[in-house]
Amino acid sequence: MLAFFRIIAARIRGFLRPGFLESDFDQEMAAHLEMAEEDGLRRGLTVEEAHRAARVQLGGVTQLRESWRAAWGLPWGLPWLGGFALDARMGVRMLRRSWGLTLAGGLAMTIVISIAAVVFVFLDEFMGRTALPLDEGQRVVALQSWDAEAHRRMNTSRRDLERWGATLQSVEDLGGFQTIERRLIVDGRPAEWVRVAEISASGFRLARVPPLLGRWIAEADEHAAAAPVVVIGYDVWQSRFASDRAVIGRTVRLGEIIHTVIGVMPEGFAFPVNHRYWIPLRLDPFDSLKPAPEGAVFARLAPGVSLDGAQAELTTVGLLPAATAPTSPGARQRASNIDARQRGSDIDARRPRIVPYTFAFTDDVERGELAWQQRIILLLVSLLLVPPCLNISILIYARTVTRQEEFAARYALGASRGRIVVQLCVEVLVLSSAAGATALALTRPILTQIGEIIRRFPELDGSLPFWVDFNFSWRAALFVAGLSVLAALIAGLLPALKATGRVLPLALRSLGSRTGIPLGATWTALIVVQVGLALAALPSAVEFAWGNIRPAILGPGFAANEFLSARLSVDSQSVPTAEPDQRAFGARVRSLQAEVVRKMEAEFGVSAVTVTAALPGAEPLTFIEMEEAVDGGPRVSRYVRANQVDRAFFEVFGVSALWGRTFDGRDFGGAATAIVDQTFVRQVIGAGNAIGRRVRPVPAPGAEAGAWYEIVGIVPDRPANTSQGRMYVPVLPGAHGPAGPIQLVLRGGPDPAATSRRLQEIGTNLDPTLRLDDVRRLDEVLGEMQMSNNLTSYALAIVTLSVLVLSAAGLYALMSFTVAQRRREIGIRTALGARPGRLLASIFARALWQVAAGVVVGVTAALVLHRRLNIEVEGGWHIPGILPAAAIFIMTIGLLSAAGPARRAVRIDPIEALRDG
Amino acid sequence: MSSSESSILQGTLDLMVLKTLEHLGPLHGYGIALRIEQVGERALIVNQGTVYLCLVRLVQKKWIRTEWGLSDNNRKAKFYSLTKAGRKQLQAETENWERVAGVMGRVLNPETGR
Repeated sequence: MLAFFRIIAARIRGFLRPGFLESDFDQEMAAHLEMAEEDGLRRGLTVEEAHRAARVQLGGVTQLRESWRAAWGLPWGLPWLGGFALDARMGVRMLRRSWGLTLAGGLAMTIVISIAAVVFVFLDEFMGRTALPLDEGQRVVALQSWDAEAHRRMNTSRRDLERWGATLQSVEDLGGFQTIERRLIVDGRPAEWVRVAEISASGFRLARVPPLLGRWIAEADEHAAAAPVVVIGYDVWQSRFASDRAVIGRTVRLGEIIHTVIGVMPEGFAFPVNHRYWIPLRLDPFDSLKPAPEGAVFARLAPGVSLDGAQAELTTVGLLPAATAPTSPGARQRASNIDARQRGSDIDARRPRIVPYTFAFTDDVERGELAWQQRIILLLVSLLLVPPCLNISILIYARTVTRQEEFAARYALGASRGRIVVQLCVEVLVLSSAAGATALALTRPILTQIGEIIRRFPELDGSLPFWVDFNFSWRAALFVAGLSVLAALIAGLLPALKATGRVLPLALRSLGSRTGIPLGATWTALIVVQVGLALAALPSAVEFAWGNIRPAILGPGFAANEFLSARLSVDSQSVPTAEPDQRAFGARVRSLQAEVVRKMEAEFGVSAVTVTAALPGAEPLTFIEMEEAVDGGPRVSRYVRANQVDRAFFEVFGVSALWGRTFDGRDFGGAATAIVDQTFVRQVIGAGNAIGRRVRPVPAPGAEAGAWYEIVGIVPDRPANTSQGRMYVPVLPGAHGPAGPIQLVLRGGPDPAATSRRLQEIGTNLDPTLRLDDVRRLDEVLGEMQMSNNLTSYALAIVTLSVLVLSAAGLYALMSFTVAQRRREIGIRTALGARPGRLLASIFARALWQVAAGVVVGVTAALVLHRRLNIEVEGGWHIPGILPAAAIFIMTIGLLSAAGPARRAVRIDPIEALRDG
Repeated sequence: MSSSESSILQGTLDLMVLKTLEHLGPLHGYGIALRIEQVGERALIVNQGTVYLCLVRLVQKKWIRTEWGLSDNNRKAKFYSLTKAGRKQLQAETENWERVAGVMGRVLNPETGR
């Protein structure tokens, strides 16, 4: 075996320096012949005799050179490599000659491989990364409390955290963190809500990143009596403190507490997730840390300890029993972060586990499950290759049938079936490799764009872990290479096997006769499948794409640029947990909301201010049902967009009721009323009268049914041109909980920047825990929401177009071959006096019934697909008559595909056809 | 020549080349071919070019190495010598050959083989 690999290695070295080897051989042969001639002369031969004898003894230099080159595998080093190179050259030639196949097939493959590569990079970063970009980052781990029965991560109590820190020997620098949001006020600068990490001092030791200025948080800072301190990040030091090197000792206000800056971390530091502010972790005795991403227990494996070894020790130490949890009402009130579902949970179902740190931030999964999820997603994404590659395989098959003579000749000269199949697959591999290389080039800019989009949304950017970096890796390049090979196999193997099956001996017998290979059921099946595939997907794709892009093209139907939106919420730190306190707090929040609205109207003279649960265009989908069945039929259930609004909502947006009325004082005293829009009526009720009908959200399985809402008015769509109907209900007391964020919408206000500053000042003056932020023009908000819909539509349009082009090309190729195969027959019929019209009719008749069969298959598949997809729920827009239009379109393409070859057929010279035949 | 005969010839020639180099030390291709003709009484190789093909195989397997030097009559020539792996292979092949020869001897001469 070793000798075998040595030979391969030697041949590869020979392949890399063939000139050197050839020169070496020439010198050696020259030396041999010289010595042989000298011996001949010494034996008494003449010069000519010695010269000849030397060459005869050697056995012929030319023959020896050929054998020697074969021994070295020159010029390719490895014999099979020479065959591969020849097949690849044939593949390049095929691409140049069949530019239609190249363009259409290459484009389809490139799109799919690019999508798959982007998905791979996402999965690799979020699910596959196990090491942090820190010193020995692969040894940083997270300790979790895992409920095996409920299959989810649980909170970790402070007592378990302390006990693990005191007991475990297999880990070091154990600590925890939790993320909180606080209003940050720095002298002279506007207030801003920021994410802060409450973190153990050991976290900085674990990260092993020295501070740029000052010091880390120390254990002494964690004491309740210690002065509040904060460590800030590099970006914050630059933006809020102007890179002041005397920042140490300055104070900032976080929430209600003034903190002293004790350190600045260097650029790029964001441990534990994506933080720029760090304060000491001071948990109450009965507090607990939430699971990732909001909190976690971290540690570093001790030197020489493996993850399994640490798990074994942690299992032994275990978790404290739930029975030791606080039982007094007062203790429960202080334990505000304890998950209510965790109380009383079965101790046997909970177990501690230790996992790679990055794994803790994925999902509620076991480690093996995550890997399986990743593989399944990648498998599904890879299957996207199947439809375009099947289309390409049909085109390849059409071409291989015209190359039967070539294959038959190779077969006769000794090539095996396998060799010819490999040749065809390699030819397709050239196309798929070109597509893969193009996808590689496209993936990096796509990832860059995605990164830019994420950074434009502060909420997304803030939650993206610091270890996620959408860079294109060698693993992604390998994945793309694998997809290229897979695409070549899908597109090349089937036509290759078909073209070299029983047909080859047949082709051998018909060599020279030009009668060609008789067509079979496979040919007809290919045309039917081609047409059916295109028709099955086309209507749904068009409806989905139109539904997504329609709002962008037709607009929201009102002057969205005249509206400003802001988010109004309360700092989560101050929310009480005891129920009576919650009710009182809720009343206080509603009073604050009303005060904010009054101040806004007085401050800016705005013509209208309204409060909603969600911005128009961003309402959540809700599954609702109508009370009475229509005409005795089954109760109608459907997804609609539902929003909670105040009585000024319709006035602010200038919407008057088309039928019935809008909300007034009667609706905010406890009456359950609703207002719906025209799309709702069309989709849910149809032709009947909606006023007086009752509707309610469908309860979850096992949950109690909610109240019925009586429809009291029908309004125009606002915003218009979206695919789902809307239902509005009055903002009900406590519907969101006391601290749930609500949206403030102002009409006709001044510029957003000034309004934002003034809103925050009003909020701060009223109550420091009141938060008014995210002030933007409504048209910008709707535009951002529309961005992903636009991308979806464009991607869908490109994919659909490429499938259509492939289908048309496939049909054209198939029809061309059909006509070419019947050339002799057409020539004979023309010679016998057949009229061109009858010839055309016979060609079209065959094409027509093949395409019609495909249309029947496609229509059936399209109906099934349309019913299962529920297009409007997914954001599509039903287009009446799309299916018959698509069927006519596909039939037209099919017949046009046959027209070109048919015209060539009737122009065939009968004498030529008979002579060639 | 059939493929089985050529593979037997190949294996035998490899062994003879290795043995020649062990016995005579570093030697050029012409010298190796002459020695094998001499010892084998011209029965084993058809022409001297066969030796060079054998030498290519042995170089690729790293059982011998090459080095350009000067022959006895001051001509530039490529010299072949045994490597450590080649010596081990020679020993193994020799033992195997002797074992096979002994068995064949007993089979072909059953009276003397007891």
